[in-house]
Amino acid sequence: MNFIKHKFDVCKSVAFVTYKEWSAYRTHSMVSIFVGPVYFIVQYFIWTAVYGGNTELNGMGLNDIIRYFGASALIGYITMDFADWNLSMLIRTGKFLTFTLRPLNHRFFALSQKVGHRLLGFLVEFLPCLAIFSLLFGIDMTPASLPWTLISVALAFLMNFYVNYCLGMLSFWFVQSGGVRAVFQLLSGIFSGSVIPLVFFPKWLQQIQFFLPFQYTSYVPSMVFLGKYSLGSIEISLAQAVGMQALAVIVVFVVSEILYRVSIKHFTGVGA
Amino acid sequence: MRRIFNIRTFDIYKSGVKTSLAGVMTYRFDFILSMIITLLSNILFPLVTILIYTSGASFPGWDFYEVLLIQAIFTISNGVSGIMFGGLLWSTMGHVREGSFEIVLLKPVNPLFFLVLSTFSPDSISLILGGAVMMWFALSHTGIASAFAIVQFVLLFFAGLSVMAGMSVIMAAASFKWVGNSRLPEIFDSIKNFGKYPISVFPKLAQSFVTFIIPVGMIGFFPASAILGRLDPKLTIAVIPCALFMMFSIWLYNYMIRLYESVGG
Repeated sequence: MNFIKHKFDVCKSVAFVTYKEWSAYRTHSMVSIFVGPVYFIVQYFIWTAVYGGNTELNGMGLNDIIRYFGASALIGYITMDFADWNLSMLIRTGKFLTFTLRPLNHRFFALSQKVGHRLLGFLVEFLPCLAIFSLLFGIDMTPASLPWTLISVALAFLMNFYVNYCLGMLSFWFVQSGGVRAVFQLLSGIFSGSVIPLVFFPKWLQQIQFFLPFQYTSYVPSMVFLGKYSLGSIEISLAQAVGMQALAVIVVFVVSEILYRVSIKHFTGVGA
Repeated sequence: MRRIFNIRTFDIYKSGVKTSLAGVMTYRFDFILSMIITLLSNILFPLVTILIYTSGASFPGWDFYEVLLIQAIFTISNGVSGIMFGGLLWSTMGHVREGSFEIVLLKPVNPLFFLVLSTFSPDSISLILGGAVMMWFALSHTGIASAFAIVQFVLLFFAGLSVMAGMSVIMAAASFKWVGNSRLPEIFDSIKNFGKYPISVFPKLAQSFVTFIIPVGMIGFFPASAILGRLDPKLTIAVIPCALFMMFSIWLYNYMIRLYESVGG
């Protein structure tokens, strides 16, 4: 119990400091209040035109796809992070050395930082954009099941973090890992469902994507928000989709733990 | 006003190009990988178009190859402007943040022109190549309307480039006041999004906005319409807002320089 309380206290402290630090640059985050709605309105007009006389495309109606893009944008504000870039910078500059001296796992520290940073994002990005989508654009942003949506978004938050952290750990092994990270980000952008719902891909590709981790950061929580999940003709319940997501998070967590322990042994800092 | 264009302009530009190319050739693999990633990142929207059309849907009044042509021209325009103006924002922002903009001001060349000439960014070459391939593929299915259509296309393409240039200059101008905000490009990228698709799918108000106010429709849609013979000749007048937009951006940049306060200079 003391262990959990200690972890919670550490997380709270780091998150609070990070929140205060980033709130000095809140206008940086507030750019999303303009950018998000503009991107969304383009999607709205495009898909309204594309649907034309069609009631449904690939199992999604016009209302579904509009709400999908709205949910995807909002979920992105909660789950986004740059743990890979941050970790890579610390390793390249040698500043990671100070973290090896502290009685604190850097991965946990970075996760706590993300909590603080995204709390600010929730206030200055998520809430204003939600108000714009709901009140100004008149989009129904009520999730089909609030509890499942909240759990799924929380799991996407963790998934995005652990995947990015694993990418960041490449810097322990490669001098220039920027290219590999960029390729991964590109694939993630395509296959996470943030650009277009995955059901629009060819069936064979959907079946491959079912087993890849990319869908868990955007597609799964967005579909849980809509109240239905299907990919590659596989239709499962919300509970099963969220359960699958939780399993994926556990797998990625274990991978990151193994990578971390191996990478720390490999790490050499200047003067260490 | 300082003389903008003289024989030294070419010398400065040549030096900027040579320095930039020498820099990227130092890390050749990184440069090639960067070009590939830049290209792949920028052709996500043609991928969306492919997926839409393979689902049996379409943009009303536009077939797949016509939409691909719009996006190909958009990509090429993005590439050309990226090479010529891509470094302007970061260069300006860097100088303002470090307080070294006075060094630029002291030079016997217009500061805006100096920064444009000296920040050649070759990373976007891949966009020109990729866009050209897409354009060739699209045109092989649509054909070109006439020889006059090509003339119209060239005129409108350069008008579109002036819009891209104008956006880069406005962003750079904003960085004098909004110092260190690396998300400035996202603001204009979001508006440019309108230019990636046939603007006829947008409501009339939005069409007017992207034609006359911030004319992003000129980046891909109007040149593509011209080459397909679908452009109402009267709409060639749309080049005027593009020229005005660029002139406004230059005026804004010079105005922001007057507001610039150096750090202990």
